[in-house]
Amino acid sequence: MKLAILSESPADEAALRVLVEYVLGAPFATVQPALRARGWPSVEQVLPAILRHLHFNTAADGLVVVVDSDDTVVHDDPHEAVGYYHPLCRICRLRAVFRRTLKNLPPAHGRSAGQQKVLRAVGLAVPAIEAWYLCGRDTAVTETAWIAGQASGRQPYSRRELKWRVYGTERPSLPFELRRAVQEVSRHQGDVRRLENDFPRGFGALAQDLRSWRSAAASPPAPAPLA
Amino acid sequence: MISAVQFRNFKALRSAAVKLGPFNLVIGPNGSGKTSLIQALLRLRSLAGLPAAHRHEEPPPNAAGPELVFHFNPPYQNLHVTLACDTNDFVCNLLVVDHPPGLDGERQWAGLRARLLTIRAFLFDHYAMALPARREDGAQLASNAGNLAAVLAARREKFPAAFALLEEEFRRLVPEFAGLDFRPTPSGQIELVARTAANGGELLAADSLSQGTLYLLAILTLAHDPEPPAIVCLEEADRGVHPRMLREVRDALYRLSYPQDCGEAARAPVQVIATTHSPYLLDLLREHPEEVVLANKQGNAASFERLSDRADLVELLCEASLGDLWYSGILGGVPGE
Repeated sequence: MKLAILSESPADEAALRVLVEYVLGAPFATVQPALRARGWPSVEQVLPAILRHLHFNTAADGLVVVVDSDDTVVHDDPHEAVGYYHPLCRICRLRAVFRRTLKNLPPAHGRSAGQQKVLRAVGLAVPAIEAWYLCGRDTAVTETAWIAGQASGRQPYSRRELKWRVYGTERPSLPFELRRAVQEVSRHQGDVRRLENDFPRGFGALAQDLRSWRSAAASPPAPAPLA
Repeated sequence: MISAVQFRNFKALRSAAVKLGPFNLVIGPNGSGKTSLIQALLRLRSLAGLPAAHRHEEPPPNAAGPELVFHFNPPYQNLHVTLACDTNDFVCNLLVVDHPPGLDGERQWAGLRARLLTIRAFLFDHYAMALPARREDGAQLASNAGNLAAVLAARREKFPAAFALLEEEFRRLVPEFAGLDFRPTPSGQIELVARTAANGGELLAADSLSQGTLYLLAILTLAHDPEPPAIVCLEEADRGVHPRMLREVRDALYRLSYPQDCGEAARAPVQVIATTHSPYLLDLLREHPEEVVLANKQGNAASFERLSDRADLVELLCEASLGDLWYSGILGGVPGE
């Protein structure tokens, strides 16, 4: 499988590579060069162009996008209802960009009949990817704790505190950040159930999308229309 | 080290003040006082090298002339330094020190003065950096880094461990190179060369290196200085560097300001004052708005404002990146049109 990862930094990308492989259960190749966005809302703005590029110019089967929730609405079960769209939910917004963009793209040369469109995998790190890195090590860091904090107006931790807990500083160098990111996600040793349990909406949504890729890959291509 | 500066009639800074932290990224339109802030610090360094006047012996100030007042962080919080001009001049040529009375106060001033004399300001020039340099000019980096070859050669000789760390960082940032070397020129100078990682370690002279490579190397030279100055001012910190590499520029400068965060707790922090016009570099300070100083210009008068003083910043950042917010104009720090 060949896929693209849209991330904010090489450290995020390295961690996502590990997690995506855990969920897919198999190694994968990535398109080059690495795709980067400058955080929200740049991700949303650049995503249509990236999808178009991947569709026409690469053999990428799918695109993985993970954004930080920051202080915005966290994706929730009601958002999964058919036709539902929460305008303040970043997962809903990114999924909408995927839908709108892919719907209008004509078939591309070289794409197999079973893989006409770039597959979607969208995740939301609540409130930042460092929360995922702490999963299983700091039991106070969960989506439930964050959402309860949003409801009460008193967040249990800040993005800066999460950085401190992961790196021991708010200003890690890139090599150190990358090393720590990979160390922390590798603790899960291929088993992402704890991440799905503690981050069911942001990480769970990503894992669900990725697992749907396996079934898409397994299903036979649609028969060609009769002439 | 410097906690705040007050300006009066200093260039466009007619009546302005700025608080400074360990790391300061100053953004703003041309003519908004960014360079004037750095020039004020350089003036402080120049005058600190001369005998100081003390408050009780100061001549009558020229009320219409420029005046700069510097405040300091501990252990120098009880000292204040004023740069002023005498009655016949409009150039700051007088340094007045307020310090606690007695020998202890004198000692504090001596300690502060020694630190002020190390203030350095840089605006790197890749043409100058690419030139060979005289070996004896390698004591400290010139303001345009024109003696880069000599500084690095001297560092390799006197501080091999620091040089090795710098070289390792250089290899990481520019992986097409395996290392740095030096060779004499026919005119008796020393030339910087980079060894390629491929092609059998071919040597490329500095004038064959890209501009961005030279700028990154100069920033690494500052960041890995084993005897750094107390304050480093860097104009156009983003100069010549690809936007994706600006994270490395920021981290290198952070290394100076926050040595404990990179395992150098024994080294005194260096106060960094950097300027930029890059929204991409600004984006990297999203988590630390207290490190951003907005320089504003209203007519001919300029002023400073801390980004962290903006009450609605958190809400604004949910809708746009910091760089885009700045460009839009809603934060200030943009040219008048």
